[in-house]
Amino acid sequence: MNIFTQIFYLLRKEITLEWRQKYALSGILLYVLSTVFIVYISFQNIGPQVWNVLFWVIMLFASVNAVMKSFVQESGYRQLYYFQLLHPIAILLSKMIYNSLLLLLLGGLTFVALAFIAGNPVQDAGIFALTLFLGSTGFSITFTFVSAIAAKADNSSTLMAILSFPVVIPILLLLVNLSAHSIGLLGSTDIADKTMLLGAVDLILVAMGLVLFPFLWRD
Amino acid sequence: MKKYWWKILGVLILLYTFFMGLLTPLKTGISEASPMSLHAGRSETVTVVGYNSFFTKEKEKLRAWLKLPNGKALAAKRIDVVDDRVAKLTFDLPSYLPIDTKVKDFTLLIDSPVDGASVLPGGIAVTQDTVNLALADALWPNAEISQLHEKETITFPFRNILGETIRNTYYHVPLWMAMFIILTGGMVFSVIYLIKNDADADRKAMALSNVGLLLGILGIITGAIWAKYTWGKFWSWDVKQNMTAIALLIYGAYFVLRASFEDPEKKARVGAVFNIFAYASLVPLLYIIPKLTDSLHPGAGGNIAFGSEDLDSTMRMVFYPAIIGWTLIGLWIGQIILRTTRLRDRLMEV
Repeated sequence: MNIFTQIFYLLRKEITLEWRQKYALSGILLYVLSTVFIVYISFQNIGPQVWNVLFWVIMLFASVNAVMKSFVQESGYRQLYYFQLLHPIAILLSKMIYNSLLLLLLGGLTFVALAFIAGNPVQDAGIFALTLFLGSTGFSITFTFVSAIAAKADNSSTLMAILSFPVVIPILLLLVNLSAHSIGLLGSTDIADKTMLLGAVDLILVAMGLVLFPFLWRD
Repeated sequence: MKKYWWKILGVLILLYTFFMGLLTPLKTGISEASPMSLHAGRSETVTVVGYNSFFTKEKEKLRAWLKLPNGKALAAKRIDVVDDRVAKLTFDLPSYLPIDTKVKDFTLLIDSPVDGASVLPGGIAVTQDTVNLALADALWPNAEISQLHEKETITFPFRNILGETIRNTYYHVPLWMAMFIILTGGMVFSVIYLIKNDADADRKAMALSNVGLLLGILGIITGAIWAKYTWGKFWSWDVKQNMTAIALLIYGAYFVLRASFEDPEKKARVGAVFNIFAYASLVPLLYIIPKLTDSLHPGAGGNIAFGSEDLDSTMRMVFYPAIIGWTLIGLWIGQIILRTTRLRDRLMEV
């Protein structure tokens, strides 16, 4: 089996598994909804700037929770089974793609919930969608790789936050900046630059992940 | 002795940078001029406050000009020296100025045989009522700026917004550069560890990252002290300060990660992987993002930094050795950490 078929089968496995145990997916959806609701109750009146920041902060915390389980919650025996059967790159890439899709869904849901409760300040939907796409891939790449690292340790949930937050801050800064463009808070002069930069950071992190994961994997 | 030459060299270089960096005086400069805006067609008097200046010595040879970027200049009609620091310059401004806007910033230039030439770049704004280039050319008594004096002694340049804090170039900036060199070294040893599986390479990576973190903390402290005197606050939430704080957090996380493993092999492997990953995310952090947003830090938004005219040759004579000096001292500290870890590991084996 070449890597692409492996990725395909792994992806199908992830999605089937998620669909069968709906509690994980619905848990995250409820998490987003209740966070948005709490935020609304505390703020009442949410201006565009606050909306922008809140959106990404909710996304950040929901993403960490959603992605954390990808390696941390796999049992040791199943990992051993994968190890004999599959290429490590296929495992990492399939997790990253699956998590990107999950986070895209999560982002869409957060947007709908926040827009429903606090109004929709987005003026340029195209840029916002692009930002959401780049953001969910960036978050998924970083968090998936960090969860692979954290899964090796015992107190993995604390480590997950300590390791991933500093690494993800530059991505978060760029995202807040880009989506501020789509809301019309910033003039649209250097959108292309920032998009390219965000894409470049994502690419660097994917490349690092692919190179380093085989070393992390062998136990 | 042969083995220790680089440690001695490091100490000597640092002593040299402390000595030279702190004791060399600043060049004579103009720290203040008032009023800062003049009007064309009047005779105006500007009070100038000099820095490290000796106006009273040879005061009859003192000369002063108001200079335009295009090279045209107006000589001061009268110079009254109050004391060594304060002088009053009187300019007879013609009614029309050789500029195509109503307001223009002029550079103030004072030349003295004792102190050499000192400038206040773009410090004085002159306003005219109407623009008339033809009349201005006829009226303008252009004064050739020539035979400027050079101060003979070794000095550092004077910038009126930096003043004496320019010396921080020799402590804050080299600390950062040395940190980068040493962290890069740590990353390289992590790569070597992953390739060769050699436990000593991981110890080296750990020791160097430790030193890098120390240099980074020193760098952020020296930067904050400098910021207190130039920006007014220790911490201004400037993008560069934030980014560096995050960079230090990443390396803090590296040590927390290492501490959470019992098995030395696993500790080394996972640590090496995270070290490389963290390094890759540090570079865009420290270089690209501050360039995208506005920053108060030198090197951004027209602030002075390491352009060819900002760092003059006397400063280079201290600045470059300081980088080498801090790197050598960092390597020395790293070597001590490395040797203690080796001993500790050997004790654990026994």
